[in-house]
Amino acid sequence: MSTFKENRNVSDRSGSDRQRHKDKIDKAIKEGIHDIVADESIIGKDGKKKIKIPVKGIKEYRFVYGDNENKKNVGSAQGQDVSRGQRIGQRGQQSPGNPDKAGNKKGEEFYEVEITLEELAAYLFDEFNLPNMQKKKYKNISSKSFKRHGYRNEGIRPRLDKKETIKKKIKRRKKALKNGTLEEGDRFGFHHDDLRYRFIKEKKKPTSNAAIFFIMDISGSMTKPKKFLARSFFFLLYHFIRSRYENVEHCFISHDTSASEVNEEDFFGKGSTGGTLVSTGLDKCLDVVESRFHPSTWNIYVFQCSDGDNWPEDNDGCVKSAVKLKELSQFYGYCEIEPSEQRLAWMKMSQLSELFTPLVGENFKIAEIRKKDDIWLAFQRFFGGFRE
Amino acid sequence: MSDWNIKDLEEWDDKIIELAKTHNLDWFPISYEICDYYAMIGNMAYHGMPLHYRHWSYGKSFERTHQMYNLGAEGLPYELIINSDPSIAYLMRENPFYLQLLIMCHCVGHSDFFKNNLTFANTGPENVIQRFKNAKKRIDSYIEDPSIGIEKVERILDAAHALSLHIPPNCKDYVPHKKRRKDLIKRIKSGDESVKKRNPDQFPIDEEIDLLSFISEMSINLEDWERDLIDIVRAESSYFMPQIRTKIMNEGWASFWHYRLMNDLDLPQKYHIPFLKSHNQVVTPHLGRINPYHLGFHLFNKIEERYGLEECFIAREVCHDESFLRQYLTEEDCFELNLFSYSLYKRDYVINEISDGEGWKEIKSSLIKQIGSNSIPKIIVREVKPNNVLRIHHEHDGRDLELGYAEKVVDYISTLWGGVVRLDTVIEDEPFEI
Repeated sequence: MSTFKENRNVSDRSGSDRQRHKDKIDKAIKEGIHDIVADESIIGKDGKKKIKIPVKGIKEYRFVYGDNENKKNVGSAQGQDVSRGQRIGQRGQQSPGNPDKAGNKKGEEFYEVEITLEELAAYLFDEFNLPNMQKKKYKNISSKSFKRHGYRNEGIRPRLDKKETIKKKIKRRKKALKNGTLEEGDRFGFHHDDLRYRFIKEKKKPTSNAAIFFIMDISGSMTKPKKFLARSFFFLLYHFIRSRYENVEHCFISHDTSASEVNEEDFFGKGSTGGTLVSTGLDKCLDVVESRFHPSTWNIYVFQCSDGDNWPEDNDGCVKSAVKLKELSQFYGYCEIEPSEQRLAWMKMSQLSELFTPLVGENFKIAEIRKKDDIWLAFQRFFGGFRE
Repeated sequence: MSDWNIKDLEEWDDKIIELAKTHNLDWFPISYEICDYYAMIGNMAYHGMPLHYRHWSYGKSFERTHQMYNLGAEGLPYELIINSDPSIAYLMRENPFYLQLLIMCHCVGHSDFFKNNLTFANTGPENVIQRFKNAKKRIDSYIEDPSIGIEKVERILDAAHALSLHIPPNCKDYVPHKKRRKDLIKRIKSGDESVKKRNPDQFPIDEEIDLLSFISEMSINLEDWERDLIDIVRAESSYFMPQIRTKIMNEGWASFWHYRLMNDLDLPQKYHIPFLKSHNQVVTPHLGRINPYHLGFHLFNKIEERYGLEECFIAREVCHDESFLRQYLTEEDCFELNLFSYSLYKRDYVINEISDGEGWKEIKSSLIKQIGSNSIPKIIVREVKPNNVLRIHHEHDGRDLELGYAEKVVDYISTLWGGVVRLDTVIEDEPFEI
């Protein structure tokens, strides 16, 4: 009455639906990332550090009951003592009863993906490419890397490869058995010749170099919130460029009416009460490029953040310097930070935007940031248009 | 490698069939398919249907089962049988012989239940495979249609899946609203006393819980293919609803019979202990939860003990989980199973009641509220307001909705409805609107 059928069909019926699900997770990760790119907790972390990002959106929503006092759950406690008023768990932990079979209860469907900043960068920057990315030759600096290169009979202890060693021993034993010099069951120890060590070869290769310049106005009008937006944005840019080049140097230049090269902490931390001469920052940048990062060997990226104000008498000098910088750099991004909506209401461009607009082109872009959400948009604005 | 071949299975299948017939079990012929673990969970993801339309949620379901299996959380023998005539069941190639026999006995129990339980009366097991195949074909054609494509199909399916349980629990077909109105007018005109006071212009004409069908009929913004997708989801859900409503009975009945048949089969001694071990694993209570295998197995044994085997057959025919528990779960059972109820109090889960002389009735009624279709919040259509605003209402019974989820579902309903949707409910004893 029953029938039996062998199914040797190897087709993977859920394959395409799994892929579709995976695509959704990937998409959710990407979307989740945008929410956290400006998150304080990741700013300033180094590349290897793992961060957790919650991934939402792959849940299958239904009307389900939540937890309230009038929702009584029934379970069995066979073989256990239970009494009224006994506490058996806490909210947020796995609830003691976790019925989830019919799919009509809210299940634990929160993906928390742990990734390093480098991986995050890969996700984030997947669709972007740098304009004018060139591998400029460099005379002295080349990166060293170590590559595995087979096995040797001699080496240092930590590089002893147990698997290869045992393989060698097994081979020797088989030979011995075949030749009749060894009986099955005899003890057969390791011999010095069995030992195999991993061999590591040093490899030198020329690298691509990039120097990133962050120029920021620290005058009185650049308030703390503005600086935080700038910092978040710089952080993103830094990781993006770092994900594309092997060797990346960065240089922070802050200016009010005069400019100086500072360390990261001072760059974001210190402020001044003075006025603004933007040209000083640009000239300082030109100086540093000239002295340390010559464009023939370095790819130059310049990012400038400001609230758009400048002293009118500085405008000409400012444009002149900007043009120079644009010419020698791979990319020059100007980003205006304006957290208030004022500018919108005036419907008027700031001085700097107005000055810089004629420069806009393939390697010169202007973006605006008013709030956290704009950071990603600004980033897209800078790099969204380039496809390999 | 395995300790069996198909010949062994066939040979023992004859014995199982003979034995089951002497017990008056009456089931669909079973067509067993032997597959490996990977194909098994693949089939599970699609509810065992040989052909099923595609949707990412089935990929997710696969991953989840796979992951749980790898974590060792699901060490139980997989059994999978569908309510069709013949019943299609899957046997995992990796299973040892005794386990195949246990699963085959278990499947006989399920198939008997599918064939005889009244809840399944309208599920159409004779052509269900074909129905799923047709649905798949149509959905594939929409996905391949260059003017539609997978994104648009998913948009509708995602939304329809969110509502799939909000259909009549008894597999009733939907009667279009327009037809119901016409019928009512006719009855009023004919002087039918029972409808004398009803207003045919009231909308919806009577309590509407069939959300998918209602939307499919009434939405003014759906294209034909979109409507078809909604109807497909609704039809599939209606087919599976009896299984949701009889989970405890169905598993209980199958376990009751696999236990009996296996014991009567004259198994070689070496299979007996492993069989008992697997059986105990299946029907073990889960602390703080209800294991349907456990509860169902317990109750059918008790019914036999208290009223005789004949009563078990009656229950298997006429009950669903709710009426089954209402009728047969006694104080003694609650006490023996040590059932207790708990709920969230501030930040802690605290036990409210235990199964003593005072507590058991309360526990029984709480248990009935959480099983079968009672675990699905009751949502009804209120009205369609001007500007195409759809108002729906949650019939609050003490249990609050999970708001985060409810908001998303309301969004989904707007997707299908093509207009604004408002839901009213109660949260923490206050009226609440989404």
